[in-house]
Amino acid sequence: MSPKARIMTVLGSRPFLTLLVVAAVWIVASFATRGFGAFGHLRYLVELAAVIGLVAAGQTFVVIAGGIDLSVAAIVTVAAVGLPLVSSSADPTGLSAILLVLTMTTAIGLVNGLGVAYLRVHPMIMTLAMATFLQGLLIIIAGGSAVSLQNPLVGWLGNARPLGIPAGVVLWIALAAIVLFVMHATPFGARIFAIGANPRAAELSGVPVPATTIAIYGVSGLTAGLAGVLVLGMNGQGYVGIGDPYLLASIAAVVLGGTSILGGLGTYAGTIPGSILLVTITALITVVNASPGWRSILFGSLILGLLLLSGREAARR
Amino acid sequence: MANTAPLLTARGVSKAFFGNPVLRDVSIALLPGRVHALLGENGAGKSTLINMLSGALRPDGGTIEVDGKAVSHMTPPEARQAGIAVVQQELSLTANLSIAENIGLGAYPRRFGLVDYAELASRAREACALVGLHEPLSTPVGELSLGRRQMVEIAKALYRKPRVLILDEPTSSLSATETRILTDLLERLRSEGTAILYISHRLNEVMALCQHVTVLKDGSVTSDQPLEGTDAAGLVRLMVGRDPGDLFPKWQPSPSTAAAVSVRGFSAGLMRDVDLDIRTGEVLGIGGLVGQGQEDLLLGLYGAIPAKAASAMVNGNQALPSGVPKANALGLAYVPADRKREGLHLIHPIITNLMLPAFARLPALKPRNRGNERELAHSLATQLGIKGDLGRAAQALSGGNQQKVALAKWMPHEPLVLLLNDPTRGVDVETKREIYIMLRQLAQAGKAVVLMSSDTPELVHLCDRVAVVREGRVAAMLEHGALSEEAIVAAAVAADKPKVAA
Repeated sequence: MSPKARIMTVLGSRPFLTLLVVAAVWIVASFATRGFGAFGHLRYLVELAAVIGLVAAGQTFVVIAGGIDLSVAAIVTVAAVGLPLVSSSADPTGLSAILLVLTMTTAIGLVNGLGVAYLRVHPMIMTLAMATFLQGLLIIIAGGSAVSLQNPLVGWLGNARPLGIPAGVVLWIALAAIVLFVMHATPFGARIFAIGANPRAAELSGVPVPATTIAIYGVSGLTAGLAGVLVLGMNGQGYVGIGDPYLLASIAAVVLGGTSILGGLGTYAGTIPGSILLVTITALITVVNASPGWRSILFGSLILGLLLLSGREAARR
Repeated sequence: MANTAPLLTARGVSKAFFGNPVLRDVSIALLPGRVHALLGENGAGKSTLINMLSGALRPDGGTIEVDGKAVSHMTPPEARQAGIAVVQQELSLTANLSIAENIGLGAYPRRFGLVDYAELASRAREACALVGLHEPLSTPVGELSLGRRQMVEIAKALYRKPRVLILDEPTSSLSATETRILTDLLERLRSEGTAILYISHRLNEVMALCQHVTVLKDGSVTSDQPLEGTDAAGLVRLMVGRDPGDLFPKWQPSPSTAAAVSVRGFSAGLMRDVDLDIRTGEVLGIGGLVGQGQEDLLLGLYGAIPAKAASAMVNGNQALPSGVPKANALGLAYVPADRKREGLHLIHPIITNLMLPAFARLPALKPRNRGNERELAHSLATQLGIKGDLGRAAQALSGGNQQKVALAKWMPHEPLVLLLNDPTRGVDVETKREIYIMLRQLAQAGKAVVLMSSDTPELVHLCDRVAVVREGRVAAMLEHGALSEEAIVAAAVAADKPKVAA
């Protein structure tokens, strides 16, 4: 492909178009609303988007592989509520608690994967059941009360701004680099696309389908856990339900970014602007002075509208 | 039957997709009481022509005429109303619906606004009887073998009592017996005055069945003439545009006789208690009626379905492969019959399809080298004559080229045993020839090639030995010297005789 053709491909690609939409909304909103375009505000939007971006990283893998993970919200909550509970004063850095929680959420994802790969439970059923199970468990363990954070590393992650950039955004950038590398530059990534496009053909080509599937859901558990740690740091305390907004958001970010909900096609490069777009919409709705009920209705309708505009796919199989 | 007015005519039609002309000034007239053959290599524009005759596509130029009257903007429902029925190459059945429901789909008899199932059953039974389908009408179509599904598809067309019947490669997945039933049926429909358009790559069928032939080459009609006085070689010449030479390469005895795979008491799926040796340097044919367990034999050996054996040796390993990755590691490769559903990733670029087996076995997180991938893919494409930009989606390729991709992707891994499931189904003559030559070359190079085929001539001319499978067992093992179409068919149906006689 000639360099010019390559540039044209990039310019016409969904990730780039989503980015253009974000830029357009930002510019229009900056003129329409006082303070929207301030650097501090935009930085805050990206910081909020980082949480969605982390959850949606695992979700992108799962959706490309032809599945869906409906347990991400519950996993975010598990991490945010569980971390204060497992934090011990014996470790002054707080790192051990983070690692423990991430191991836990990864294990939850692996169980999802086992169910999908070996028990042949449909991903929707498997992950929804897992979410319900986790919610019950959380209510038993944490009850209705919020748990406060006593973990220096998590606090730093949620509040520090090295070089003016929020630590959460730094974490997002680092994770995005890894995700994009794994997705597009390793055989593992190629296998995921193959499984999503045609699982039977992938299997007959020698792709270890069950092992890959399990790994993907494990990754989704890990990134949802990371998001939970970040949201806890930003919030200061964890409570049951803290992860709830991230289920629809993660799926919407994936699809807004141009990843096919049918699997087999897509990229995390689109999910990134997709996440920022979602946060921007939420911010705009907040500006409109409406009751929480109407805000939710507006948000749902807007996402549906955007997906109808952008996520419609031609019949292809 | 001469001098009857054509029922359906295309007059000077043209069609282009995205600026690429697919058909140029094509005319064809379907007369009642005549079986009209439409020949051409894959990509010659046959399917496009059918789609225009049945209202699925609108010609860019020229006209479609029904009963001599030009119809502009004919839609598929209007075409059906006019008595035009098409049996598509891509089966259009719904797997979860029963045979009867599939046959009547879209034209259910109604009673008080509800589906009249009794009427549907009786009319579907009538259509099934015509094509020799004896399965219970309530059987879900998904449970039928490919060949039987094809018969349902034909019954579906007959259910509508068409005046014009268009068949796109109806016999490509049919056994010899089923083909005979179909041939008799078409003969009868013809004598009753139906106009039939028949597309097939099997020239002996065309010779036996058809009275008139239209040959398409690169979107233009190169010949439109009665079949009388033409022979098969002449037809091939018309299609390919040059002398065909021998379709099959010269057979030579295999150089070595070491066993690559050896199983005793092997069972998998329909296959029960089979003893089989596959030798290096040979092309071993697997024949028999469709759906006798041949596919399970290949899949079982490949580790893709559960299998067990009293004793097994696979390329030095003393057990059957536990799964496909293990089978690949042992030097086995499998090319499925259903390219679209099992062989290829249609929405992915050709290059990704070619590289997939490599991705499957490389260390999961080892960085890919795109430069090397491109180089390898290009050399594979050149080697097998795959035409077109490798960055395009595989669905853009013609059937023959898709099959080449499905084959080519295994070549870099130099499999010792190549398990092929009907590799020439729906492939044009020229590509068939290339595939045949390649298979013999692979055998010559000391590989073991297992060729499961529903095309009996290719078993006869290409194979060193043919295992004829019947009811899950190897009914006969025919050596090259004893191979003939009659011998294979005889072995395939022998045990059926007492039962079928009823």
